[in-house]
Amino acid sequence: MKRREMLRASVLAGAAAALRPALASAQSAAQSAAQPSELTPAQSGVDASKEFEGPGWKPLFLDEHQNETLIILSDLIIPATDTPGAKEALVNRYIDLVLAAETRETQQAFLNSLGYLDSESIRRFKAAFLYLSRDDQDLLLHALAYPRNASNWTGEADANPDKGHAHFEALKGRIMMAYYSSQIGEKELGWDGAFAHGPYQGCEHPEGDHK
Amino acid sequence: MTQDPLLQTYDVIVVGSGATGGWAAKQCAEAGLKVALLEAGRAVSPKEFTEHMPAYKLKYRDHSPEIVRTRPVQKQCYACMEYNYEWFVNDLENPYSTPPGKPFTWQRLRILGGRSLVWGRQSYRMSDNDFKAASRDGYGDDWPISYAELSPYYDIVEKYVGISGAAERNEMLPDGQFLPPMKMSCGEIQLRERVKAKFGHTVTIGRTAILTQNHNGRLQCHYCGPCERGCSTFSYFSSPFTTVKDAIASGNCTLITNAVVSHVDMSTESNKARGVTYVDRLTRQVKEVRGKSVILCAQALESTRILLNSSTREYPNGLANSSGALGHYLMDHVVGAGASGRLPNLNPLPNANEPARPNGIYIPRFRNTPSSKKHSQFIRGYGYQGGAEAGFNFNAEGYGTTLKRAVKEGEYSISLGAFGESLARWDNYIEIDKDLKDAWGIPALHINMSHGDNEAALMQDAGASAAEMLEAAGAKDIHVQANVEMPGMAIHELGTARMGNDPKKSVLNPFNQSHDVKNLFVMDGASFVSSACQNPTLSMMAITVRACDHMIERFRKNEI
Repeated sequence: MKRREMLRASVLAGAAAALRPALASAQSAAQSAAQPSELTPAQSGVDASKEFEGPGWKPLFLDEHQNETLIILSDLIIPATDTPGAKEALVNRYIDLVLAAETRETQQAFLNSLGYLDSESIRRFKAAFLYLSRDDQDLLLHALAYPRNASNWTGEADANPDKGHAHFEALKGRIMMAYYSSQIGEKELGWDGAFAHGPYQGCEHPEGDHK
Repeated sequence: MTQDPLLQTYDVIVVGSGATGGWAAKQCAEAGLKVALLEAGRAVSPKEFTEHMPAYKLKYRDHSPEIVRTRPVQKQCYACMEYNYEWFVNDLENPYSTPPGKPFTWQRLRILGGRSLVWGRQSYRMSDNDFKAASRDGYGDDWPISYAELSPYYDIVEKYVGISGAAERNEMLPDGQFLPPMKMSCGEIQLRERVKAKFGHTVTIGRTAILTQNHNGRLQCHYCGPCERGCSTFSYFSSPFTTVKDAIASGNCTLITNAVVSHVDMSTESNKARGVTYVDRLTRQVKEVRGKSVILCAQALESTRILLNSSTREYPNGLANSSGALGHYLMDHVVGAGASGRLPNLNPLPNANEPARPNGIYIPRFRNTPSSKKHSQFIRGYGYQGGAEAGFNFNAEGYGTTLKRAVKEGEYSISLGAFGESLARWDNYIEIDKDLKDAWGIPALHINMSHGDNEAALMQDAGASAAEMLEAAGAKDIHVQANVEMPGMAIHELGTARMGNDPKKSVLNPFNQSHDVKNLFVMDGASFVSSACQNPTLSMMAITVRACDHMIERFRKNEI
């Protein structure tokens, strides 16, 4: 048994032992335990992680063009490398689910950002973002991805240079959140799936030397 | 006690089962008094804990529309999440009003244990610099109790609860009965060393109600991180699994859940409380519990709301309110100032499999102290909570493979956020909104509070001082904030039934006993005279235990 597994096993065994008397008293105290409607799905033990993985998935909020655009965009922002990217993590499906429940203003703000991508694409390349070559998509995103200042020559005359960057950041923020909160994203960050990793060790360097 | 719980006359009725109500029930029941403990919410079970559930198992990964719909106020608190929002009150059922342009956010839990289930756990003593602040700077009123009087009760509470922390011999922050402190990170130690050298200020590890070793039958922390979702090892202090459990185990405490107390009932023959009336949360039936004494521990605003809703012919402006002070002097620590940056000299590489320390660092107040000179812009002061650690860089620029790599390369970040003293002002008050009732038909509160010039000046200075300290620690890309957030954001509501020696100016005597009605007590944060700047729950619990000592003695002498 590895060190971490031993630790985990001992924590769990200890927890179970500690739980018994507390559970007993909590139950004797429980004149009215929670009704199902008084628990969150999480507190009832619902695991919703597989909810939108089915083959018959249909978007709730986005139309087909918006959904396809979002898939392509997410794949450019977080591509598959030696690990899966945003497309494999189905970030478009999660974003669609959240958007469907958002306020009209928030929904519209998202569509404005996605629409900005297409309007820039049409202005520069005479086609919607979805239909550009990978190279042209990359060119377009590169122009939006970094904050510009007045001295920065970009080859593009833009009266409001930061607007494009703001739309990019809004889309990127949603894609990042969706990816890194997915099971694929947690693995990308290296999480081993355990919830306890022994006591916090803190700094063990000699004073003034934190190399 | 096998009869109908409502046919008895209890020695004590305790209203509220949170941090203070749990202590009141434990102290009285263990002293042999017959206690009825009333809780407005339901019981809680460890089966509801979700601290080990990853976010990807949540349907909306913490962006649930149900929170937006039913908890528009509660969601302003970081601890109200898709995991646990049912622990927080439904705002649609629990309204309150505020004047135009004066918002107040009121975070509430109605469930066994109340906010002790989700609290921040930071635990600091107050000192005579706080209890005697008015004598030092001329503003407001001194407390009628001193540090020496409260100190033994801090000891009792700390030994039972289990507070981990480091002794610092700081003049503003008395040391206590500590379990071993949690460790500091490299960045925090760097800040501690350089801030001490340059400014002489103390940076210490947070003093927290989390066990660093097994204690009183509970297991030490397993460093999973999100305490506010519950703890399967009961390592952070919450009342259902400690004080309330003890009270019930004594055989002298009857727990009545789903009891939404509307008012205190007065005897028709004498100037005494004879019990409380509550509405059953589920059936809406109105019931009365009778007791020889009543202790309100419902949370500062809720306890005062009960008294304001208990008016009689003798007390037309709220029960036990001959002073007129009931409802006034509402306080909540001012927040909104601080600084953040990154420490480029430290290894930023994050590790997803490191223990998660549910605690940060603390910088005790250093303005207007006995050893510092008087500040020209403000009275009182502020303390900081903060932390420094390597983390994933979700703010990395750009996109594509470089972004994916940059996230994992990480960033060593450091931040400080201030909690400032909120001055007790008559103009910050609560009253009953005559046109607004909650889902149980109980008149709701109109909350009238704003922070003033002194709080704004504190936040200005706190932002600048935080930036200076981060700079001294070697931080780069420092962002400063010096805002005043809306009252309620600190979730440290205090006052509205202040204690004092003068019955004309205060609601309670120095033992949390009503000046007007001798068998009526308020033992929660409502009794505070001033707010200090330390997180108040530890002081509330110590004040409760002290008040119970006094009350039990009087009870035995038949003086109640």
